[in-house]
Amino acid sequence: MADKVKYPGRLIAVDGSRGKDIVAAAAGLVDALRRERIECAVSRWDASGLFTDMAAGGHVDRNVSIRTLSLVYAADLAFRLRWEIRPALEAGAVVVAAPYIDTAVALGSTCGLDDEWLRLLMRFAPVPDFRGLAQERKVDKAWKRRADRGYAEYVAMMLATAAPKHASKAARRRMMELLDRTRGRKLFHLSNKGIGQLQKALIDSRKGASRQSASRPRNERK
Amino acid sequence: MLKVRKKIRTLSIEEYSLLHAVDFRHRVETSILPALWAGKTVLADRYLFTALARDAARGLDLDWLLHAYSPLLWPDLVIYFSMTPEDSRRRIASTRAPHFYEAGQDVTGIDDPLASYGRFIDRVVTEYENLSVVFQFVTVDAGDAVYRQHTRVRELVEKAEKRPWSTFSEDAVEEWLTKSNTQDA
Repeated sequence: MADKVKYPGRLIAVDGSRGKDIVAAAAGLVDALRRERIECAVSRWDASGLFTDMAAGGHVDRNVSIRTLSLVYAADLAFRLRWEIRPALEAGAVVVAAPYIDTAVALGSTCGLDDEWLRLLMRFAPVPDFRGLAQERKVDKAWKRRADRGYAEYVAMMLATAAPKHASKAARRRMMELLDRTRGRKLFHLSNKGIGQLQKALIDSRKGASRQSASRPRNERK
Repeated sequence: MLKVRKKIRTLSIEEYSLLHAVDFRHRVETSILPALWAGKTVLADRYLFTALARDAARGLDLDWLLHAYSPLLWPDLVIYFSMTPEDSRRRIASTRAPHFYEAGQDVTGIDDPLASYGRFIDRVVTEYENLSVVFQFVTVDAGDAVYRQHTRVRELVEKAEKRPWSTFSEDAVEEWLTKSNTQDA
């Protein structure tokens, strides 16, 4: 069930430890791409409304584990892939997924889950063409425990009673360290300079793809 | 969460499976493990294997399913009420029309719920049969008279011994204990 389809579009993953920073990084990237007349779509966390429903519903006792929350994240990601990400990629657009897999893996690992379990759980999602890391702000602070900011803040809120150490400053630092690992692939730090570099890499990859399609017969393309 | 989404028929195969995994994990952590820890016997009317059979019949990879449901909490006894697809179809047709996902209409694409159920239950039963071999279910003939089934189940439960595979549940128990200890602290 791993998604090995090569789409005509490009997928950019933007991850980070703080919802506001991820949103800001994605917005900065989208603005820069649109200035270059590159059409792009943004896919955000909780597009399915699962987390909102969960916070509003019967889970006020906060008796939820990080494993359960990771499964909800995977379900939300499946929803985003079906309705937002795959259709846009198939149409040849650039999709900015903010956040994507790395945020959930880093946060889950910080809270004690095996990162291999998390990666395999989300293996139905396509590997991004580019990985971006949001510029982190307020790095010496723990997460705000809120349902409406981002995944990490949501988890901090849900685990605040059951596992307060997972919502601490130390946990956030650990998550930032995990996110900063390249894992053998280039990681763009999305400052103004990083956005420029990512934009250039994206434009080059699209040029490369168009050169390839013009020079090679369809049946020889990989 | 799940009921509403089922009602409006918006779930993909992966979402359907993952949301059931969420529900299962929550039940394990908040109902099953606390009861077992208190020394009670837990009777789970449909457990992990129902999800595995149903989702595998939808075309999902069994390895991935086992992974999504891990760490697994293995039961000491699995009673499988076995029935032919024809009997299952006949029984459901005599009482009601099956629901959209129960009939597998999301994967068969057949508009008629009963016709879809007929196609889908074939696959589900095949998956159950495979699982029953791999995981050593104890089979009870669901076509038999109810009182005979009842007697047989009583015998099975009375004779049931802890299976060696329960030691494989250590991870699930350990994770739950860690969570519970943090909560109590």
